[in-house]
Amino acid sequence: MYSENIIKFDQMKRYFFDQDTSIKFLEYLIGKGTVIAPHKKGETSYSFKKVDDVNEVVFDYSRTIQPLKKFFLPPQETLLNFNLTDNSFSEPEVVEEKKIFFAIHSYEMQSIRRLDYSFTKGNPESNYLSKRENSCFIGISFEPDEWHFSKSVGIEIEKLEGFCLFFEPVENGHLVFEVNETGREMLSEFGAGVLVDTPLDFEITDKHFKAKIKYHYNRLPQVFEHVYHSKVWDKVAEKCVGCGTCNLLCATCYCFDVRDEVDLNMINGKRERFWDSCMLNSFAEVAGGDDFRDKLSFRTRHRLFRKFKYITEESGELQCVGCGRCSRFCPAQINIVDIINDLIVDYTEQQEKQVI
Amino acid sequence: MSKPRVAFFDFTSCEGCQLNKLNFENDLLDILELVDIVEFREAMDDRADEYDIAFIEGSISTPTCVERIHDIRRRSKILVALGSCAVSGGINAMKNLYPPEWVKETVYGEDKYLFPSIPVQPVSAIVKVDYEVRGCPMSTPEYLHIFKSLVLGRKPEIIDYAVCVECKQKENECVLDKGMFCLGPVTRAGCGAICPSNGQYCTGCRGLVSNVNENGAIEMLKLHNLSTHEAMKRMKMYCANEID
Repeated sequence: MYSENIIKFDQMKRYFFDQDTSIKFLEYLIGKGTVIAPHKKGETSYSFKKVDDVNEVVFDYSRTIQPLKKFFLPPQETLLNFNLTDNSFSEPEVVEEKKIFFAIHSYEMQSIRRLDYSFTKGNPESNYLSKRENSCFIGISFEPDEWHFSKSVGIEIEKLEGFCLFFEPVENGHLVFEVNETGREMLSEFGAGVLVDTPLDFEITDKHFKAKIKYHYNRLPQVFEHVYHSKVWDKVAEKCVGCGTCNLLCATCYCFDVRDEVDLNMINGKRERFWDSCMLNSFAEVAGGDDFRDKLSFRTRHRLFRKFKYITEESGELQCVGCGRCSRFCPAQINIVDIINDLIVDYTEQQEKQVI
Repeated sequence: MSKPRVAFFDFTSCEGCQLNKLNFENDLLDILELVDIVEFREAMDDRADEYDIAFIEGSISTPTCVERIHDIRRRSKILVALGSCAVSGGINAMKNLYPPEWVKETVYGEDKYLFPSIPVQPVSAIVKVDYEVRGCPMSTPEYLHIFKSLVLGRKPEIIDYAVCVECKQKENECVLDKGMFCLGPVTRAGCGAICPSNGQYCTGCRGLVSNVNENGAIEMLKLHNLSTHEAMKRMKMYCANEID
């Protein structure tokens, strides 16, 4: 599988950037549009943020707290401004700007592709799409930590789809690969960097993932066909406190709640949407007070089925991209890879019983 | 249409939630445009017989409290509990964890017979409460939301999810990750995660989310190096009446 990737990389035009050149390149990008890149946040965390000082950009990071979706589906977003006196409303203006996302990991890029699917299928969602326009993405390789498992869901570290350029760290700098035409134009306009025309003298390697799903990802939908009644859900529910962190920080979860808030003048107001989570108490509550997922076990099951079955059946792609946020940030230390591997054990046991 | 007649009452509490309202400052005049405040001991002398909306602060902890709250309820169309003490008993309810006689002795010494007291209860244990504004002190945005909703005659939306939600929406670095204690994962949001957003941990002042997984919460705190005893102690600070 990886040899194919190496060939792909070997055929691409590439430049060597030392750290200074990379910083200059960032300055060049700032002249082209709004640049968004990972920054340090707090003591041990990272966050995607607009670049004000190029020296604050972090090239080597594990994962940000919030995924990239926050730029297209903000945690809190005004949908309408309304006036109760004359019963009118207006939509807030979306600022048209070119957005360049720098140092993006492949799973993050893939999460945007999953969201693109969800927001364009059926009725295209204009709020998302208007923000999504004019974006380009520059990828970077990363060293998986104990929570990354993107390879287990079919997303290699060097998966290039969606990127215009790709940064691969090498000694004293980065190799920058021209992935598509946009990237080629950027590099030729930028002009600096040393063209490398010798064959790749290093391997684009399958970096070692510590977290792994036992089955190949193409078998996972089959597993999810058989585990709806698994005991695993109850086991997870014993530990889960239902705080919703897993959904809120999930790179592909897009559920939101809509609330109206009127100003104190009782005339003007706004309709806002907020990130919501199917792990929360009120999510599946309906009129009359009934709740069709009133147990944490049902909610965890729903959360995983949304990633590995429901949308997958329509889109043909797993919705989990293996960023590991749900596990990394879970206060109860519930790990999605453990859940899936437990489900696989459950599934294999079922299969064996059937054979007997 | 005449303005709704609004009153504020205090029971066993520090009166901080009431004070919080006087701190609205910029909004205070707008609020006064919308309602007639007919009774508010901390701010004025007037009294009234009937109220469209009665806001109640403080917990029920004496036989007199019980009589008073019945009386107020009878004269109020809508009754709203303000702040932790009124909603769940709050920190006052910690006294319920000790023998009542010992508590009286410790607080009042030999004069204890002058101060009849009962176990601390939320307002809702005595009379019907229509809406609750949680927090110690109560959350201002939530209070304003309920206030505006009642003036408009619509049902307020009351949040029943964890503080974690608001922390994640703000992209705060997790307090637990910093090695601090935090009750955010099981405490009701609505405060805008104000404490974790400002370098503090969540003490659980807004009470627990409904259907809370109590054992899960204790196990979670153990994972972050708190003993069961310590975990229970922390949770009982504001939720003595909610936890067994």
